[in-house]
Amino acid sequence: MATIIADNIISPLGNTTQANYQAVMAGKSALCHYNSPFPFTASLFNEEQKRSLRIDGYTLFESLAIQSIREALKQCQITINERTCLVISSTKLGGGQGVHEVQEIAHAVGITSTPIIVCNACISGVSALILANRLIEMQQYDYVIVCGIDVQSTFIISGFYSLKALSEKPCRPFDIDRTGLNLGEAAATVVLSKDKKADSWHIINAAIRNDAFHISSPSPQADGCQMAIETAMKDQDATNLALINAHGTATLYNDQMEARGLSRAGLADIPTNALKGYYGHTMGAAGILETIITMHGLDNHTIVGTKGYNEIGVSGNIAIIKENTPTHNQKTDFLKIISGFGGCNAAIYVSKKEPTPGPSHVRRGKSSHSIVITPQKAVLDNEIMVSNDLLPYKGEQRGSMLTLLYKTKINNYPKFYKMDGLARLGFVATELLLQKERETEGERNRQDRAVIFFNQSSSEHADKVFLASISDPENFFPSPSAFVYTLPNIVNGEIAIRNNYRGETAFFILPQKDDDIIQLITQATMSDEYHKSIISGWLEYRSENEYFAELRIIDYGNNKQEIEN
Amino acid sequence: MDELILELKEEIIRVLNLEDITPEDIDSTAPLFGAGGLGLDSIDALELIVLLEKRYGIRLASAAEGKTIFTSVENIAKYVSENRKR
Repeated sequence: MATIIADNIISPLGNTTQANYQAVMAGKSALCHYNSPFPFTASLFNEEQKRSLRIDGYTLFESLAIQSIREALKQCQITINERTCLVISSTKLGGGQGVHEVQEIAHAVGITSTPIIVCNACISGVSALILANRLIEMQQYDYVIVCGIDVQSTFIISGFYSLKALSEKPCRPFDIDRTGLNLGEAAATVVLSKDKKADSWHIINAAIRNDAFHISSPSPQADGCQMAIETAMKDQDATNLALINAHGTATLYNDQMEARGLSRAGLADIPTNALKGYYGHTMGAAGILETIITMHGLDNHTIVGTKGYNEIGVSGNIAIIKENTPTHNQKTDFLKIISGFGGCNAAIYVSKKEPTPGPSHVRRGKSSHSIVITPQKAVLDNEIMVSNDLLPYKGEQRGSMLTLLYKTKINNYPKFYKMDGLARLGFVATELLLQKERETEGERNRQDRAVIFFNQSSSEHADKVFLASISDPENFFPSPSAFVYTLPNIVNGEIAIRNNYRGETAFFILPQKDDDIIQLITQATMSDEYHKSIISGWLEYRSENEYFAELRIIDYGNNKQEIEN
Repeated sequence: MDELILELKEEIIRVLNLEDITPEDIDSTAPLFGAGGLGLDSIDALELIVLLEKRYGIRLASAAEGKTIFTSVENIAKYVSENRKR
């Protein structure tokens, strides 16, 4: 079980955790009103802050991450070597050259192992903490540095604007008058260690579950949120909970969904807060930043009040804490919950209790089916299904392999035509794998399946499509559907919806295709015993003429074996 | 009005990527959203808001306002003819 040994927050409210905590306790917020390209409110670094944080030769994105990681490392005497891992959580990276920037960050702070980027929409920060915790439990690394970082841009702001998700005024989490979210920028870092340290925080339980409902709207039933919470609460006594730190973006749907998830999980009467009124939605940093503020609050026996909240505006009668409030002495633990596009929901149970070591066995999986798709061919279980030589439109319609496969092998899901290239690639590859699975193993409910993908270019192609809708100021009409697909994990959501998968969904970006790391993260995902099988692999889509999918289904002990055991 | 209805159907098919659907397939009075209609969802509604603004210069304040307009193609045509700026 990993121990959190250091942390840092760099935000418009300050450059250390302490400065941030004091600002928040004093009720400060960096939310400001801006007028261009349209009126909005956000928490952004000002020019002076940017100048002082910027490191020569590095982008702002890189500089913030490097400063935050260095500050966290100052608090702990660790030797960085091959057994130290860097996990970066970011929803949009620096804008285009993400992998390169992360390599720059890794190099600057002395990381020699391969950095891993978690790009799992709004839950990225918690998703990264969960991965880090698992990597240490698996004894793969001695230390994992987790840094969440996003900087804002016209790209992101106009995307959320097109989704009608932004509030022009400071956001009001869970309030009756809430009208939407504010965006924010920040970097937040924690260092996790394999070694115990007195009076330190641990992630005891964690889960990620999918709604299988819609790629950008949370399930009104909150079933994914409820499932994640219930798994994180497994074997834990809710009476030890001092607090639940919610996502609380202040959109109508998110807050209502969280309230429903909490009450359905039987936690409506536990004090709950949200921190977006101080920081806005800091995207890739949010899950980490909010976990750090919550830890420091409880270290000081305090629940930080929910800035912007005045009157309850959600059903379920949950206990939103408005003002800074002292905690009950006997209650020491907290739950962090978060939800995001692609239908993903995460929950972690965090405590200072000495954790009981979980089962240390590694589950051995067996690959049942595999598929490779390129613009030239599709190969299922090592047999060529279609190759370019057989294409009817040879030459003229290069890049039509995905449409051809859809039309000839699937053809019953018009949503296919609305998907971006990456989602089409993942969808077609998965459909063909599942057809094969049904042929050989029959129909079976596989709700407990996880779906995790990797690539190098994130959502490169979708980013270009969306950029085209905002690049001309005379013709500035950001496209909501194009924006949604600029989150690579939307493909996981599409597959979960199609197949009613409720297990973990996650997207990771790697400096290059690295089968060892893919296997490692696949195995880490399977340490959540809810999962009986997983669809995992490489999913790269750069253009109509350049894409590559290599996916497999891996089963972890069939039902028969489990009964015998 | 018939001309505008046809134009709207063509635009809806284009911006929402309704492959294999022709203007003749869309009943002008049928609901666009929910079961039985074209099965459009919340992102489609947002994309229709962009369409109104881009093509006809009509700016809707919220997605909720869109809901009352996007009930059928006929209703959209009526709203557009009364409010268009271009």
